[in-house]
Amino acid sequence: MAEEFNTEGMLDMYLFENGQLLERLQEIVLEQKDADSFDEESMNEIFRTMHTIKGSSGVMMFDDITALSHKLEDIFYYLRESHPDNVPHLELVEHVLDVADFITGEMEKLENGETADGSSAELIKNLDEFLDSIKGKTKKEKDKVIQENVHEEPQQFYIAPMATEASHFYKIYLTFNEGIALANVHAYKIVYSLKEIAEDIMYSPEDIISDESSAEEILENGFKILLQTQTEKEQLGEMLPTGYELKKVEILECTGQEFLQGFDSFGSEIRIDLESSVEVIEARAGTKEQGKTKVDKPIAPGDFVIESKGPGKQKKLAKDKPKKQEKTTFISVDVQKMDMLMDLIGELVISESVVLQNPDLKVPGLKLDNFHKAAGQMMKISTDLQNVIMSMRMVPLTNTFQKMNRIVFDASRKLGKDVEFEMIGDATEVDKNIIEHISDPLMHLVRNSVDHGIEENEERAKKGKKEKGKVTLSAKTESGKVWISVQDNGQGLDRAKILAKARKQGLLEYGREESSYTDKEVYQFITLPGFSTNEKVTELSGRGVGMDVVVSNLQSIGGALEIESTPGEGSTMNMKIPLTLAIIDGIVMEVGNSSFVIETSMVKEFVGIRDNRLIRNPDGKEFVMIRGEGYPVLRLGEWYEISGYQSDTEDGMLVIVEVEKQVICILADRLRGKQEIVVKPIPDYIKKVKGLSGCTQLGDGSIALILDAAGLIEE
Amino acid sequence: MEDTNAKNDLLPEEEEQVQKKDKYVTFKSGQEFFGIKIQYVNEIIVFQEITEIPECENYIKGLINLRGKIIPVIDVRLRFGQEPIEYNDRTCIIVLNVNDTVVGLIVERIAEVVEISQKNIIPSPSIGKKDKAHHVFVNSIGKVGNSVKLLLDPDKLLNDDDIAVLEQMEKLSEEEGE
Repeated sequence: MAEEFNTEGMLDMYLFENGQLLERLQEIVLEQKDADSFDEESMNEIFRTMHTIKGSSGVMMFDDITALSHKLEDIFYYLRESHPDNVPHLELVEHVLDVADFITGEMEKLENGETADGSSAELIKNLDEFLDSIKGKTKKEKDKVIQENVHEEPQQFYIAPMATEASHFYKIYLTFNEGIALANVHAYKIVYSLKEIAEDIMYSPEDIISDESSAEEILENGFKILLQTQTEKEQLGEMLPTGYELKKVEILECTGQEFLQGFDSFGSEIRIDLESSVEVIEARAGTKEQGKTKVDKPIAPGDFVIESKGPGKQKKLAKDKPKKQEKTTFISVDVQKMDMLMDLIGELVISESVVLQNPDLKVPGLKLDNFHKAAGQMMKISTDLQNVIMSMRMVPLTNTFQKMNRIVFDASRKLGKDVEFEMIGDATEVDKNIIEHISDPLMHLVRNSVDHGIEENEERAKKGKKEKGKVTLSAKTESGKVWISVQDNGQGLDRAKILAKARKQGLLEYGREESSYTDKEVYQFITLPGFSTNEKVTELSGRGVGMDVVVSNLQSIGGALEIESTPGEGSTMNMKIPLTLAIIDGIVMEVGNSSFVIETSMVKEFVGIRDNRLIRNPDGKEFVMIRGEGYPVLRLGEWYEISGYQSDTEDGMLVIVEVEKQVICILADRLRGKQEIVVKPIPDYIKKVKGLSGCTQLGDGSIALILDAAGLIEE
Repeated sequence: MEDTNAKNDLLPEEEEQVQKKDKYVTFKSGQEFFGIKIQYVNEIIVFQEITEIPECENYIKGLINLRGKIIPVIDVRLRFGQEPIEYNDRTCIIVLNVNDTVVGLIVERIAEVVEISQKNIIPSPSIGKKDKAHHVFVNSIGKVGNSVKLLLDPDKLLNDDDIAVLEQMEKLSEEEGE
């Protein structure tokens, strides 16, 4: 059956779904890494995740992933059923993360068009040992309980038992070909495919998911399914073709009565726990309404509904975690479509202004009251529309932050430090393309904090600090910028050490007293390439790459890094980044017939000057003296050889721009105003022009070029 | 198809050639008519205001705003090395899409859309080596009645060798960067 599936289209779905599951899995695990054990709900969720991954991987024939997830599922099945007290929790967390890493790695291979060829044998071995160790220890104490739990308690799988008159009842006997590996997984695949049409389904052996011995049982005795469905027998037959795995398929129609008797009517040796089957039978024999009340909580596929009534267990099950807050539902949309939508809305706004300011309306004596009323309404809607599309591009930082959680965990384990991780404001929203750019810098900073910032455990104790180190990641929006800070309560930056290192590297200004450097200036040294005060190079950091990469990454998106530190109390790295790259606040100016835009945040001031204030030095460079300081002047018209620009400075306007600590004066003909502009790239067809970073459409539909001040100063 | 009668007399390859007809958008530039395969033509728009881009090849006139999409435009006359003329109300822009590069082509006057069958297309004749810049853009000649249309190779029309070299350099530096 499986090899007949066309896996091409399914692969994307597989990768997407499992990717999400794995992310969620890591989230759960890291959430509870510091607890003594997983709570009931997370255990169920991990179990279910592994189960789903196993199922879909099985269908996709990724045997290594299937086997590995199966093994981890086993462990969680055991944990959930037997509640052993002596599980080394951190070890378990690491095992789960290892498994997640392996599967993520394999999925990455698949995504790149390679084959998932990694072997999970070693991981499985580790998991086996782990399972044995927890089983071994518990066996002595709870031997009997485990036996009961694992082998005798029957579980009922059920999927919304609702009988209608159109329902047929079938008994299906499946005989597998001998020598099929993981027959239980194959059987599960069949069950899974039948679930789509099933109103109710039961099968024997029941525990085909976590009990490996069921594979043998299936091969020996066959696999029996009780199915309630509206599907006709012929179609059912088509769903179960004999072939690679199935040797023989027998489908027998039976009555509802027989169906309710369960596997007893098969003459099977499976004993059904009386208590639970009565309940089940009642539910099934009852009307739809009763069925609904019974299933008061949606049951996910593969979810066990455990009908066991052990008093001890009851207690533990009752210990419920507080309800999770409602999650927003999402659909994923192609970014290109979003961009298209944004372009369209941009056009709409422009054509709107063309209509509303149409010269035809200027005819004197026209009564336009109603027109203006309607126009006002339309303008409101189009503004709303613009806001909505902008907000659609915004994504919360939650996922990015969550990844940092993992990094803190890994790094602290590797370094043997006890580090706590806290997130504040992770719901802060940032434009999607910004998120892509901050993930790497953030990772560096977080790693640095754990590695350099937080002291060794003993050292902390010696200093009388609270035993645990703490890394806090916080985000907030302020004045149109996003601030993300990484704060640790470690040792802080060592001013003397940094200065010493800076002296050694010849970074200090000649003849300047060391004490005259402000703390901020000193801390800036660590952002220079090749600067690291860590004596020992560790696996994580200390090679002096990192901070400079962080800074250059941030600069590429118009962000900046500020460092604060208090010796002995910790340091804070503040990243200031723009909310979005797509929209900037710009000053529009004109030169000749061309319009240019420059980002408002770069503009210091505008100055109108008289010609005699310009000084031209012998090699043709011009300067202007403003309040006793000389600044270079750049005549845009001359620079870009624009025809018809004003050469007379007195009519022009000097725009004073500060970029990377340099100040230049741009001479434009006139200013047109300040407005929010949507940045668009200059088409690739035109090769890069120095000093231009993009273009945009102005309100009247004309195009303005966006000046990149950083590009203007590099000559 | 009207060629089915002749079918038996033709070898399979010839039959294909006869049947294959392509549509060409033709336009006038200088004294000649040029043709461009209709597959490459997105649309034809009336002339609109162009924003100049500094530091560009002379034939790249600048950018236009095509319903929110910003596309570069080139002047065909300048591209062919002809004298520039004033734009007037017959001036049109043919919006081409060649391998996902969208570029506007400023032409003096749009002529018509013609169907030219494969057998009426002959390779562009030239003396000696094909090193004249003019011949680079025209890869073949289509006969329509008594007139000829110079058929353009859109790839060559848009892409200068310089650009190809530049792209290669960019690619190299990108690879180095990695």
